[in-house]
Amino acid sequence: MNWRGELNKFLASAYKNWIISRRNIFTIFELFFWPMISLLSIGLLTRFLKMDDSIVSFLLVGAIALTILQVAQIDVAYVLLFDMWSKSIKNTFIAPIKSYHLVFGALLFGILRGSVVFIILVTVSRYLFGFDFLVGGLLPVLIFLAGIYAMAAVIGIAVCVSILTFGQKADVAAWSLSGLILLVSGIYYPIDVLPSILQTLAKAIPLTYFLEYYRSIFIPSPHHLIWGASLAAFYLIFGLIMLDRAIERARKTGILLRLSE
Amino acid sequence: MTEKSVEARGISKMYKSLLGSSTTILDSISLDIESGEIFGLLGPNGSGKTTLISIFSTLIYPEAGSLFILGMNARRDKGEIRKVINISTAKPNFPWSLTVRENLRHYGMLYGLYGSHLSRTVDDQIEAFELGDFRDKRFEDLSTGIKQRLSLAKAMLNHPRLLFLDEPTTGLDPDISMKTRMLVKRIHEEENISVILSTHYMPEAEMLCDRIAFLRKGRIVAMDTPRNLKKHLCLGERVVISYQGQADTAAIEKLPGILGLKAQKGRVEISIDRSEESLDRIIKLFSGAKILDIDIKEPDLEDVFIELAR
Repeated sequence: MNWRGELNKFLASAYKNWIISRRNIFTIFELFFWPMISLLSIGLLTRFLKMDDSIVSFLLVGAIALTILQVAQIDVAYVLLFDMWSKSIKNTFIAPIKSYHLVFGALLFGILRGSVVFIILVTVSRYLFGFDFLVGGLLPVLIFLAGIYAMAAVIGIAVCVSILTFGQKADVAAWSLSGLILLVSGIYYPIDVLPSILQTLAKAIPLTYFLEYYRSIFIPSPHHLIWGASLAAFYLIFGLIMLDRAIERARKTGILLRLSE
Repeated sequence: MTEKSVEARGISKMYKSLLGSSTTILDSISLDIESGEIFGLLGPNGSGKTTLISIFSTLIYPEAGSLFILGMNARRDKGEIRKVINISTAKPNFPWSLTVRENLRHYGMLYGLYGSHLSRTVDDQIEAFELGDFRDKRFEDLSTGIKQRLSLAKAMLNHPRLLFLDEPTTGLDPDISMKTRMLVKRIHEEENISVILSTHYMPEAEMLCDRIAFLRKGRIVAMDTPRNLKKHLCLGERVVISYQGQADTAAIEKLPGILGLKAQKGRVEISIDRSEESLDRIIKLFSGAKILDIDIKEPDLEDVFIELAR
């Protein structure tokens, strides 16, 4: 197999997700409506409470990160969800592909959609709330986004593993996992305020460190970016291994057939 | 020595429930399928046809047994096997909002096709399966027959050496079913590929298959050519005689070559072994009656099915 054929195996999932999203009117809600609701509600809250600039930056960085994460992770999960909903999962898994073709192809489209949302939110937060997200320069933004997209891939993989393990009803995981991230990874408050057990959990989530890193541009403080990046890489590799195992297990238990019925 | 399409030994599959109880779906299936054959898997609903096809196509794995597909070990070389096989499933399903062309393009990409070769292959399949008028129609707007044709077109994207067809005409109108069968015959002849087909339509198996395995409750109960199956099961010709008056039906039963008899008032249905030349003797026993009609029917696979499914 030459590299162009291999590349197209990745692009197949991006191509499918792109066409389905393009034809789905509710994509507008995913790309514009909910992200704007999230940003405006937090931005207006900071005005009402007359918060100082450091708190405003803390909250808006969290709101933007969570929104991009939600958009990108659902795209990774869609790679199996669309197949499951249309009962065409057999056709995908009889093809000579690996789990990473599916995940990274879908993530590519997730990065595209996440980046569109990012541009919209950064622009709106600058003009409506006077918050310059890009003040630290391009490199920190790229590092921050890379961390979010890696986290999105991990959550998307976890959703796929749940579907392949527990069947159709597990699709609720697609919307629940990012809620858990919201609670524990310091999106709207520092993790110090969490009970100690949840602090331990927060320290095991890479997003916590990427938020800490990016906020250090606005509120100078130490960060642990290397540790966060290492954790993200570990989870990504571990997630892909688990996804491969879940696919193999679904072939053994026959759940792959039941997902097509 | 020619390479076999399938060499299966002792293939077993069971499904376990959450409570731990297990149901055996396939029980020690062993068979060889020659290269270039159209091989039929027949059996009533729930006999294990779809499960066996899913195992042969590496979609799911068996609990026990050894399996070689096109000379490759199905456990070790599944990635290589998937490059040279494909499947068209019963009740074909594809992403709803993708058009015929987009669906073929998507699956072509999953098989590693790219550039002009991808576009040409997609266009070739659209032409070969007469999908031109539907190329820009979404899957959700297609009729069942066109969906089936799309499924066959998708199954030919990688020009497989072994094609699996799982109940390819289920739910289709009779004329579309016939068209689909002709299409399968054409693919087999033109592409010179092996085909494994599951069906519970007897005319389909009779028309297409070189050999047939009959499954019941997860086991192969008979395997041979359609002709030999009929012969070995002693399914003689069926002679139905309608008459008025008196006929000695008890005497018919005692004649040599009579395999079975069902008598009603004015009508008798007799299974005979033609080699015994018993028809002439039967007619003589109707000398006291007026024969209204004689219908002679050769046994078909429908009879085999009924016999074996008992």
